[in-house]
Amino acid sequence: MSVDFLHPGEGAAIDTDVPALELRGIDKRFPGVVALDNVDFTLKPGKIHALMGENGAGKSTLIKIMAGVYGKDAGTIRMRGREVDIQSPRDSLKEGIKVVFQEIALISEFTVAENIFLEGYPTGRTGSIDWKKIRADSAALFNRIGFNVDPAARTGSLPVSQQQMVEIARALAHEARVVVMDEPTSSLTPNEVSLLFTVIRRLASLGIAVVYVSHKLDEVFEIADTVTVLRDGRHISTKPIGEHSNDTLIQDMIGRRIDNLFPRQRGAAGGKVALSVEKLSTARKLDEVSFEARTGEVLGFFGLMGAGRTELAKAIVGYDPITAGTISVDGQRLTPHDTRTGVRLGIGLLTEDRKSEGLMGELPVYQNASLASLGAFARMGFIDTAKEHRAVQDYVDRFRIKTPSLFQQVKNLSGGNQQKVLISRWLMRGLKVIVVDEPTRGIDVGAKSEIFALIDRLAGEGLAVVMMTSEMPELLGLADRIAVMCEGRLTAIMSRDEATQEKILNAAIG
Amino acid sequence: MSELTHASAPKRFIGGQLLGSSQLVLGVILAVLCIAISIAAPQFHSEANIIAILRQCALVLVVASGMTMLIITAEVDLSVGASLAFVGCIGMAVLNSTHSLALGMLAALAFAGGVGLFNGLVVTRLRVNSLIATIGTMMMLQGGVYLFTREAVQNHNQLASFTDLGAGYVGPVPVPVILAALIFVVAYVTLRFTTLGRYLYAVGANEKAVRLSGVRSERLKLFAFVVTGLCVGVAGMILSSLMNAGQPTAGRGFELTVIAAVILGGTSLLGGRGSLFGTLLGVLVLKVIDNGIIILGWNQDLQMVVPGVVIILATYLDIIRNRANVR
Repeated sequence: MSVDFLHPGEGAAIDTDVPALELRGIDKRFPGVVALDNVDFTLKPGKIHALMGENGAGKSTLIKIMAGVYGKDAGTIRMRGREVDIQSPRDSLKEGIKVVFQEIALISEFTVAENIFLEGYPTGRTGSIDWKKIRADSAALFNRIGFNVDPAARTGSLPVSQQQMVEIARALAHEARVVVMDEPTSSLTPNEVSLLFTVIRRLASLGIAVVYVSHKLDEVFEIADTVTVLRDGRHISTKPIGEHSNDTLIQDMIGRRIDNLFPRQRGAAGGKVALSVEKLSTARKLDEVSFEARTGEVLGFFGLMGAGRTELAKAIVGYDPITAGTISVDGQRLTPHDTRTGVRLGIGLLTEDRKSEGLMGELPVYQNASLASLGAFARMGFIDTAKEHRAVQDYVDRFRIKTPSLFQQVKNLSGGNQQKVLISRWLMRGLKVIVVDEPTRGIDVGAKSEIFALIDRLAGEGLAVVMMTSEMPELLGLADRIAVMCEGRLTAIMSRDEATQEKILNAAIG
Repeated sequence: MSELTHASAPKRFIGGQLLGSSQLVLGVILAVLCIAISIAAPQFHSEANIIAILRQCALVLVVASGMTMLIITAEVDLSVGASLAFVGCIGMAVLNSTHSLALGMLAALAFAGGVGLFNGLVVTRLRVNSLIATIGTMMMLQGGVYLFTREAVQNHNQLASFTDLGAGYVGPVPVPVILAALIFVVAYVTLRFTTLGRYLYAVGANEKAVRLSGVRSERLKLFAFVVTGLCVGVAGMILSSLMNAGQPTAGRGFELTVIAAVILGGTSLLGGRGSLFGTLLGVLVLKVIDNGIIILGWNQDLQMVVPGVVIILATYLDIIRNRANVR
């Protein structure tokens, strides 16, 4: 590798008429599924092109074909007008396509510089690796994207946002013409997002075609020039972003209209105090957090990454240990501090991490739903399965849980339906306070509104709902009151009427 | 929507068949083995030989019943072999000094249950991985038994009831087989029909989810460890009765046979999946192979080799079958 790649064609005129990458008539079949059906996708150099669609729409399949992870069954791929044959990730990289996946593919034990030049270390005259050059070139690359990361830092010690920058720098090192960002903001703070956007715009100004895969509408409106929507493996639309509104974009994604993402059915909030938390502290994070939640209300907690929302959620249900403070449910103290007492008093957690803390993936839907309320179906320790199945079937019908049967392994359901199963688990138990942590993480736009409606219904039925979220629209759309956290402390509580995005963000920064 | 869920009634049937089909494979293997050995050596299906096989199975099945529960909770106990030998020595020693089968039995159960409790506490409280924890216990027991006795503890009493434990019959059925059947049925019913059983599967499938549901998951694991220990207690007494002595060297490799039978029966080492019926088939397959090798007069060292091959083969067949299902 020579040093030339640091300034290829910078400032030179970019020929925007020839597509940087052109996919035509792409088909991809998996056993029993048509993942992509005759999909066209054209990228112009220097433009940011959003790729949108619900889970299962074919976004990931398409970018995996670009990345050479999957082979296509039919169709052609052209780079700058020339047909290319991409069989492996190596081919893809060689053609100048760099995909930054959600799961960062860096070696965490290596330094940043080592990772950037992973595919070919520059060597000195003796054949030994030229470490000095590697560091210098890395620094130069970061300089070009206008972002600073210490090339000598151990990669694993960096936050995700900076690891992304390392991946982008790698793309430049390979003289990439196309950079694909797969849901890049899913674990970034708002500050980091705006930094990332600056870098992405910088990439575009260098003449690189950027594919931005996301299902966050506000981000796409902010960053993209063009939007392509896929649905059920088919190309639905490609339009300049200016021709889209929130509604038209959602309509394209889910194929029907959603009139109101946050349908509010319940009446005014504010019953009696159901949950009272006083000066709660934990060893690692929480610092004297006090608040109350009332029956029939949704109390929304907002905070940036690391603010302590999840820690708070796990502490107040008795899952994680506390060092000081008290928790009372319906006036009764949560002692001893464990989930057994918590559930007995009527407080439970709908976890943010469904897979590792909520679902028993291998087990059938009905066993997942009844887990917290088995006692109600048992006589002398023996389960009355007929009664159990009837009760679960009732919830499957009421919540419209899409499953071929009660006996389906829950891991085969979609994210939204899994979430409904977990909500059923708590409703069958009968709670007074439900703590929901990021209730729509990994859930499609279409299913999101159903989850919102369910949360609304929970509050309407007289539960106190404590909702942890990092999504501002979710917070403003659902909560009656808004609490804001910063570094383990509660920095503000306000009613929805007095809340503004600015106020909330200010409190979140501290 | 409701059509969707109702239309699925037949699917449940298919689901049941798929679940059972790993046992079907095992059943076929067992049948083929029995037929093949019978053809080569007709004495295989003599009543005496069948009873001998069942008696051989009994010892393994007793411990495998507990082990199935334990592995379903995603833990494992490698100390059962070492514990088996120690239990036999202790039971025999207590029997010798007290002249009471009940006290000997009690001592054996207390010791083996204590070992299970110890394993369980190390795993759930100290959070040591069960594989490592029970290897530690195994080493402690293997060394410890020699601190207790350097040679076999002989039977000084010749209590008839003690001898019956291993060698007795009720009608044509050996007493150990009856004991094994009893333990098997209790374990089967527990796993299949009770809340306790459901929770054991749940803990193996996702311990955090169980804890969040307000169930004390550590207690469930502790329970499974203690039950496995108690099963070893019963097996240890049967073994010392059969040998008419407590042998500190007995039970070498026993843990492998037990775990092999459980895995062969389709129980997942990852937890949350498995069945006692499969374990029963697994035990039968292993012991029929053992018996066949003896009857056919093959080199006895093959008794270790062949089951090794069978386990890899059966697990591979299972993978193929799963792949075919996904299709």
